[in-house]
Amino acid sequence: MAAWLLIALALALFAAGTTLLVGDRTASGWISAAAATGAFASVLVAVFAYHVGVPRRSLGGAFFLDGLSGVFLIGVAFVYAVVAIYSAGYMRPGIGHVRLRRAYWPLLNLFGLALLATPVVANLGVMWVAVELTTVVSALLVTSEGSDESIEAGWKYIVIGSAGLALGLLGIVLIYAAGVPSLGDHYTPTYSTLASAGPHLNRALVHAGFAFALVGFGTKVGLVPMHAWLPDAHSEGPSPISAMLSGALLAAALYAVLRLGAIAQITVGPSYVHVLLLVFGATSLVLAGLFALRQTNYKRLLAYSSIEHMGIISLGIGIGGPIAAYGAYFQVLMHAAAKTLAFFGAGELLSRYETREVDQVRGVIRAAPFTGVMVLLGALAITGVPPFGIFRSELLIVTGGFSNSSFALAGLLIVFANIAFVGIYQTFHRMVISPGDASRGDRARVLRREQPLMAVAMLASLLVVLVLGLWIPAPLDRLLHSAAAVI
Amino acid sequence: MHVAPHYDFAHATAALLAIGALLSGLALLAVKQVHEQVRVYAALSVFAAAYTLLVGVNRGDAALIVLAVWTAVIKVIVIPVAIDRHITRQFSEHEVPLVVQVPMSLLIGVALAGLAYWSASALPIEGALLPTPALGMPLSLVLIGFFFMITRQNVISHIVGLLVLENGVFLATVAIAPGLPFAIGFLLLLDLLPAVLFYGVFARLIAARVSSTSIEDMTVLRG
Repeated sequence: MAAWLLIALALALFAAGTTLLVGDRTASGWISAAAATGAFASVLVAVFAYHVGVPRRSLGGAFFLDGLSGVFLIGVAFVYAVVAIYSAGYMRPGIGHVRLRRAYWPLLNLFGLALLATPVVANLGVMWVAVELTTVVSALLVTSEGSDESIEAGWKYIVIGSAGLALGLLGIVLIYAAGVPSLGDHYTPTYSTLASAGPHLNRALVHAGFAFALVGFGTKVGLVPMHAWLPDAHSEGPSPISAMLSGALLAAALYAVLRLGAIAQITVGPSYVHVLLLVFGATSLVLAGLFALRQTNYKRLLAYSSIEHMGIISLGIGIGGPIAAYGAYFQVLMHAAAKTLAFFGAGELLSRYETREVDQVRGVIRAAPFTGVMVLLGALAITGVPPFGIFRSELLIVTGGFSNSSFALAGLLIVFANIAFVGIYQTFHRMVISPGDASRGDRARVLRREQPLMAVAMLASLLVVLVLGLWIPAPLDRLLHSAAAVI
Repeated sequence: MHVAPHYDFAHATAALLAIGALLSGLALLAVKQVHEQVRVYAALSVFAAAYTLLVGVNRGDAALIVLAVWTAVIKVIVIPVAIDRHITRQFSEHEVPLVVQVPMSLLIGVALAGLAYWSASALPIEGALLPTPALGMPLSLVLIGFFFMITRQNVISHIVGLLVLENGVFLATVAIAPGLPFAIGFLLLLDLLPAVLFYGVFARLIAARVSSTSIEDMTVLRG
């Protein structure tokens, strides 16, 4: 297993190094796409060929993989792969508007590397470093269009993200200190060590440590009220980067929260962890749903949808029990696929219409039928319309809520998922279906044909969110069950 | 019979350094000029490095001594000098617009420190050499750093606030988890990564426009 994980990490590192040497050429796109796809394939082997349901340590305890890390690892690897493929098209001349071209590919691959490392490293300190590394590289990527807005967004992201991560580190330090009486002064803070010493950790310190970790890493998850950086960064970064932020980065940060939560629940009992997740999850769901209604920028709209989904996932895990948690982990994967599709569609719109404003985009379906269909399907997928996977995951969370007698929470999810559906679908419907009106200044720029690599990436995301919505293969089913058993 | 608590030289010095660190955190709130803020940060870092050195020597822990030296080099010299040389001098305005004025800032700072000590007293933990509650001073710095970032409308002040916050987390680590073996590795990264990043973004910010570091100009993205 370690070999496959090492291959995945090495491929990302190799791609970062070679693209740095190759520079801004078409080859960089191919190298990155191939490396990321290879990394995804290795991750699939690592997770599924070795029955990750049983927690495993490998490489002298440097890696740790269980159901929880398996789910997140597959999610981030998938996003990295499709984003690299999409980027290979998006970076062709005349399509994207990326100005920081030379640095784009090395940074993208480093971003992929840090994301892949986050769920597999055993040492919580190293996990923190990996999350910190994602901030550094992704903030630079956010600024890569070079506009004033993107620099402002990148700045906000670094400052808020770094402040959050400092608190996350404080959380890890407190949990470490909680183990000192039973584990001694010098021990390696891995999940296995802390989990086995769980009942003997200092309760007060674990309480405080998890609260800090939730607020700190929660900042990067985009949980309300620590979300201020997120809509700007998602909206101003190049669309493939928005997809990577939304589909993979938020999930990786959530993984950090859950990993520490899994330790905390052994010491202080699950209800403390669940209640905190519920509070932040429900707040994020409600406020993001309401904010989404008043957005006039379609990328910001998708950003609020990401906050909403992170809220739903936290809510599902907070509700707890095998059904809701299973649904929440399934939603991690489905959100990764659906949101990449939606942001890829947004990238197409931005490239063709050169505006992020909803009101200036009309009649996409006639001007560019493939893009129009993809954008609309993306909107349907992220709003949880059947038969897409998010419908299934949200239904599982609601069912779990009812079976747990959490009627109010299940009701809240139903109401706000519908509000988000109205806000998001209506907006995308207007842009795609409503005919344009030149006298109002509607733009109708359709200067180019479909870019094949971008189309492939969109179809891959669509296929995943559609097929898994209809059928969950047995190995994935086992993986999700084992994740739900962790926290 | 009442027995007086035993204080040795190391404990007394640590207490003094903690007071020094806390006072420099508060002093930051009294300073309006950007380059002076950077100097106060350097002073705070002197206390942080000295405390780390003291703990390292007291425990006979070579890693902590190395960390103390590294902290002194990076936080007392490299970062302040770099900010001063590469950023502060390139911009015209040096006085930072304040959302909350100095006297009120100081009052709030003291209140935040009180809150930090009160919260820390709920945690049953002893810090290396520090008087209890050991986390009072580090948490005070975290809160003051946050407050400073929120109320100072200048990007360099944002960096300084973040660095103060980071010093708080750093001091907390040395105080309550001095044996954390990865401390060296990831604290170094914690120090270096934001610094590298700040310069990257700054270089672009400068190239892209303006001769201003005031975030009052950063008003495009709202809602």
